[in-house]
This record gives sequence, C-alpha cells and structure tokens, in this order.
Amino acid sequence: MFWRMVTRALLRQRGRRALIAVTVALGVCLSTALLAVMLDVGDRVNAELKAYGANIVLRPRTAAVVGDLYGDLGENASGGSLKESELTRIKTIFWAYNILDFAPFLSAEVSVRPGGAADATRAEAVGTWFDKRLDLPTGETADAGMRALRSWWDIQGAWADDRDPASVMVGSKLAADSGITVGQQLELGYRKATAKLTVAGIFDAGSDEDGQVFLPLASLQKLTGRTGQVGWVEVSALTTPDNDLARQAAQDPETLSAREWETWYCTAYVSSISYQLEEVIDGSVAKPVRQVADSEGVVLAKTQLLMVLITAMSLLAAALGIANLVTVSVMERAPEIGLLKAIGASDRAVVALILTETGIIGLIGGLVGYLAGLGLAQVIGQAAFGSAVGFSPALIPVMALFVVLVILIGSLPAIRLLLSLKPAEVLHGR
Amino acid sequence: MAADSARTAARRRLYLVMLLRSVARRRSRVLVAILAIAIGATTLTGLATILIDIPAQLSRELRSYGANLVVVPSAESSISASAQSAVDALVGSDGLVGRAVYRYETVRINEQPWTAAGVDLAGVRAVRPYWEVTGSWPTTSQVLIGRDVATTTGLGIGSRVLLTVAGKDDKDEATAFGVSGVLDTGGAEDGFVVMSPDDLASVFGTGRGADLLEYSITRDAAGLDAVASRINDAGLDVTASPVKRLARSETTVLNTLNSLLGWVTAIVLVLVTITVATTMMAVVTERRTEIGLKKALGAGERSIAADFLGEGLLLGAVGGLLGGVLGLGFAELVSLQVFGRSVGADWWLVAAAVVVSLVISGIACLLPVRRAMRVEPAIVLRGE
Repeated sequence: MFWRMVTRALLRQRGRRALIAVTVALGVCLSTALLAVMLDVGDRVNAELKAYGANIVLRPRTAAVVGDLYGDLGENASGGSLKESELTRIKTIFWAYNILDFAPFLSAEVSVRPGGAADATRAEAVGTWFDKRLDLPTGETADAGMRALRSWWDIQGAWADDRDPASVMVGSKLAADSGITVGQQLELGYRKATAKLTVAGIFDAGSDEDGQVFLPLASLQKLTGRTGQVGWVEVSALTTPDNDLARQAAQDPETLSAREWETWYCTAYVSSISYQLEEVIDGSVAKPVRQVADSEGVVLAKTQLLMVLITAMSLLAAALGIANLVTVSVMERAPEIGLLKAIGASDRAVVALILTETGIIGLIGGLVGYLAGLGLAQVIGQAAFGSAVGFSPALIPVMALFVVLVILIGSLPAIRLLLSLKPAEVLHGR
Repeated sequence: MAADSARTAARRRLYLVMLLRSVARRRSRVLVAILAIAIGATTLTGLATILIDIPAQLSRELRSYGANLVVVPSAESSISASAQSAVDALVGSDGLVGRAVYRYETVRINEQPWTAAGVDLAGVRAVRPYWEVTGSWPTTSQVLIGRDVATTTGLGIGSRVLLTVAGKDDKDEATAFGVSGVLDTGGAEDGFVVMSPDDLASVFGTGRGADLLEYSITRDAAGLDAVASRINDAGLDVTASPVKRLARSETTVLNTLNSLLGWVTAIVLVLVTITVATTMMAVVTERRTEIGLKKALGAGERSIAADFLGEGLLLGAVGGLLGGVLGLGFAELVSLQVFGRSVGADWWLVAAAVVVSLVISGIACLLPVRRAMRVEPAIVLRGE
C-alpha cells in the first residue's frame, strides 16, 4: 500500500515532481562542478605559475658558495660541477611527479665568429637540453628541457635541437651587434678548439641572456672538454606553500622531531623537494629561488582561498534553493495530507510517505546533477586552463550526504507544519 | 467623470488591499519566496562585485614576483639623483606598487671580495617582498649579509663586520658595521652585503649615483612597453626595459585566473537564476484554486495577471534589495579575507540586482499564471 501510494504520487503529479528533481539536479550540478574545480584549482594554478620559470636551482657544493660572486673565475676554475649521468635520478625522488621540468646548464666564455666575418666577439655560451626525452632507471621515459623554463622567450626561426649537435641559438642583442641571422654559419672558439654550428633561431629574452648563445649541452661539453659535466640545474616543481614547519626545516632539518621530519619530507614543500634533490645528486646544493617559490605560494594561497569562499557561497545558495523548493512542494500538499489524516493515517506514516517521495526525487535529481556537474567541471577546466579537471572519488559520498541533508532540512519546517494541521480545517479549504 | 475617477481610485485601493492581504496572509510562503530571491540576488551581487574587482587585486598580488620595469645607466656611468627624479616623474604614481634604488660597490671582508649594495630599504621591501631576512632589517651602521657571505665568513646576527675598501693612495680603509640579519633569496643577493644608501655613501662617498632603478607597476605588457619607451626617449642617458619574463607570464596567469572566475561566476549565476525561478513558480502554481475562483467571479485575464505580477514584483523588489546589500557584504568579506583590502561598494550593482530580481520574479510568476488560466474554473475549483 505504502509503495503504491509513493509510486502513484510520483507518476501522477509528474510536472511538479519534475520541478523539484530539476532544482535538485541544478543545485547538485553546480556544487559538484565547483567542488571538483576547487579541489583541483591548486594544481592547475600552480601549473600556470610555472610560466615564471624554475623555482629550485641545483649548484655544485663548491660553486654554491663562490657562485655568482666572481662571475668569471677564469677559464681554469670550473668551480666544481655536477654529473650529467645522475640527472635522471631527479625523476626518481619521492616527489618525482611534482617535478614538472628540469634542465642542466653549462656555461663557458667563447669567441663567436659569424661565417664570412673576420673578427670574433667574446660571448658567454650556454650548453643545455632544449627538449630531451629521457629513459629513466625505472624503465619509463620523461621529457625534460629548458623550453618550458623559458616560456617568455620570443623566437625568430626555431628552437635548437638536442639531436643536432651543430644547431645553436643566438641572443637578440648579440645577433644585432654581430649581424647574425637565422641559418648563418657560426664558429665558436674555446681556447684552441673550434666548432662550426648553424644558427637555428634568434631569441629575445628581455634579460642578460640576450647577449649569450645557447647550444646543445653535448656540443659545449665537447668544445670545452668537460664531458659529462653540468654547471647548474634548474628545476621547476609543483610545491605546497611554506608554513612554519617548512621554515623550521629550511633552517636545519636536524632540529625536527622524527614525526615532524616525516611530515615535512612527505609534503611537497619547496624545502623538502630541495632536500630530496640534494640526496640524489652528488655534491649538490639545492636552493629555492625565493622570487619564484615564495610568490607562487602567495598567489596560490590567495586563489585557493578565493575559490573556497566562492564555492562555499554557491553551496549555501544551492542548498537554500533546494531546501526552499522542498518546503514549498510539501506545503502545497496540505489538502492531501489532511485527507490522509482524516481517514486515519498516523503522523509517522505521513512523514514516512513524504520523506520517501522527496528522497526518491532528490536522489534521481542528485544523480543526474552529479553527472552533469562532472561534465560542467570539465567545461570550466577546458575554458580556463585548457586541460581536464581531475576526477575526485571523494566527491561521491560528499555530494550524497549534501543531497540527503539538504532535503531533510528542507522538509523539516514543512513537515512540522503538516503535522499541526487539523484535517477538518484543511479539507474545508482554510 | 467624478464617478469614474472615484471608481478607479476604489479599484486601485482594492488592488492594494488584495495585494497586501495576500502577502500578509500567506506569510510562510511569502517568506520562502523572498528568501529564494534574496539568495539569488546575494549571489549575483557578491560574485559580480568580486569578478569586477578581482583583476586589479590579483594583478597586485602578482607584483610579489618583483619589479617589472628596470632602468639602468646607458653608458659606463650611473644614474644621478636628478635623472632618478626625472624617471620617477615619467613613471608616475598610477599603479605604482614600489620603487627601489640600488648602488653596487665592491668591498672586502677578510680579504675576500663581496658586493656591497646600497638600497633604500623601504623601497626594496615593497619591490622584492620575497627577500627572506632572518633577524631584522638594518638600521644606521648595520648591514644585512647574504646567506653565502654568512656561510663563508662565519659571521652571524649580532656580529661585527669590517668592510675594507681601497682608499686614497691604495691604503685600505676599514669601517665596522653590525650584522642585523641574514638575507636568503636563492639568487645573486645571497652574496651581497646590503645596507642603506647613506651607510654606503659613508664608506664610498657620494660621488656615484645609482646603478639600477627598479619599479613594480600594476600594468600589462603593453603599458610597460609604453612607459619604457617614454623613459628611453627622454634623453636621460638611461635605458629602461620591462622585465619580459614577469610581464609576459603575468599576462598569461592573469588571463587564466580571470577566465576561471568568469566561468565560475557565469555558471553560478545561470543556475541560481533557474533555482529562484523554479521556487517562484512553485509558490504561484499552488494557487491555481485562487485563480479559478477569481475567474469564476468574472475577473479578466489581465486583472488576474496584474494581481500576481504585482505580488511577484513586490517580492522581487524586497528580495532583490535585501540580497543586493547582503551580496556587497559578502564581496567585502571575501576581499578582506583574501586580499586584506576592501572593495569599493558599487551601488549600481545593487540596483542591477534589484532589476534582475524584478525581471526573474515577474517572469516566474506569469508563466504558471498563464498556464492556470487556460484551465476551466469549474475543474480547478472542484480540486482536480
């Protein structure tokens, strides 16, 4: 009897029931989409902020101290170096998946002589990986290189190619001063060794780099005789904004308790990723580039807070909207309830009937809304970030709980009203 | 004539009485409807205010990446004080977040050469908020030493440091400073000794001007280019250039964040509008009996529609006003929480929220009324 009444009620007043289902679906759709985007926004915005370049720089321990101070220590003082063969280990650290990109650099002062010209100019040559495919010890492959670390470069011509040892890129200032054009032959000289290269492209970096030449790492190593050596490594990593623990650890990891240390090591703080990088690369010192790392934290934290507040606001609006409609739809059934009561239905039976009905409608609407919300989240992801938003399984129970709570709370005032109804009055139409 | 106008006045009074009675009698339903509209209007005003305000706020936040316009001397000279103020005038104060002046000299500590930087400390804190100082910022006769300087020389906070420079006739002159803090940037500054310009002048004299001017301005790449070319064309013997890396990346990041918020706002608004409309429709639909009764009593379709529309508009106005004010409050709260800055209350948005609420509640009222009027009064009154 109970179920027959429920199904009849659902089937007969289809229009009004559909209205509730649609509202629930809309509310759930909105909430699901916003929650999905909110949970994902940190990673997405972080990835966008990678446009600012590397946030960790690895230097040889000996060079880290004297480093930038002396500029040119003369050609003999290499200031220590890192081993190129160890670089693939960067992708094997605990937070390997947070390492978005990295590139080794080696620099040397060389003479640059454009093909056909008699005079050579002195310039700094930088050897690097442009876009290299790596075979990891784990058997996987990964891409690394400086292209993503210099997203702001304007290129005339093309990027140099790691597989073509004779390709080179020239900074715009140097190119203008020496009259170098794309496709031209270039002779680089280092002490007695020389190398003949072809200009693949001219770049405008808007910094000191405009006076330098960039060539594949292997070519510069061969020219300078520093086979297998790397001067410094720039790493771009997804990081969590620093907190007090991270700051304490950055001072000295030894001062942490075992538990704190574990928390710190297993969180993607810029300091813990730096620490892990130092562990895998022999004789290296990893330094966070504060300009990038700290600013990233600031922007990220603000964006996340903003999204959290907007989502909270929208969830509240959706919840109130649904609860409101449930209240109205229950209230308008006063005559029906009065009749039920008049023919002897108990309060409990009435409440059970109404809750079951509303619950079924809510669940149907909620399911439709959930699926639509996942779709909507993808639309937002594509429109804003040009990439899909990650699916979070935790959303299913959260949304189910949301629907149940909202419908229950929305029904409460209406049910209280219905229970206080006097059948005779209602049936009389008052 | 007089009878006519008296009748019109009476009718008007009846209309008002009916409207108010209808609102007063069905208090709980009216409350529900106003609540629905107010929620919608709150979301509308709140999100719209945030969306309008956000690009400027975010752009300010992104300035924490540091200066986006640098000015260096053209030749092997320095930027004189008069040139500095000329450049300041050209940059203007519009959107200026910070400005810092740097002068570099070489000093020796324990016979090791290091770079000494004279910077106006207030300026550098605005331009380079990412400088991490352990200890405190220096006052007179105090210096900050970079992390690398600290590691190499073994100096720490509170120690005295002797800065040696070659004086007249190649005789060394040493000046003592206190170390107030250690600077950590992960960049070249880790090898610097930083002090105020006056302290640097006390060691090196006031002969040279600045080596570098840094400006942090909330402008896009095109705006920065314009400022830079204005300075370069002024014949000041200086070269200004935007920091391309920051200008370019900022545009990318800002566009992404703005489009994210734009999309989120648009979707929230559409869905909230629909939710408000459905609630209003439900409130009106349950009054089919009343419509039937009115029709049976001989009311025309227009007058019935006018009754409901009047009620809907009244609710829309009250809910819209309430929601608009609440929405501004919400936007203010968000802005204070996230950016620590208040939004300018834009009363136009409240007006817009009221208008939108009126339109939505009007439409949401009329749709079910029209449907109800197509029904035969007898059937409705019988309760089917």
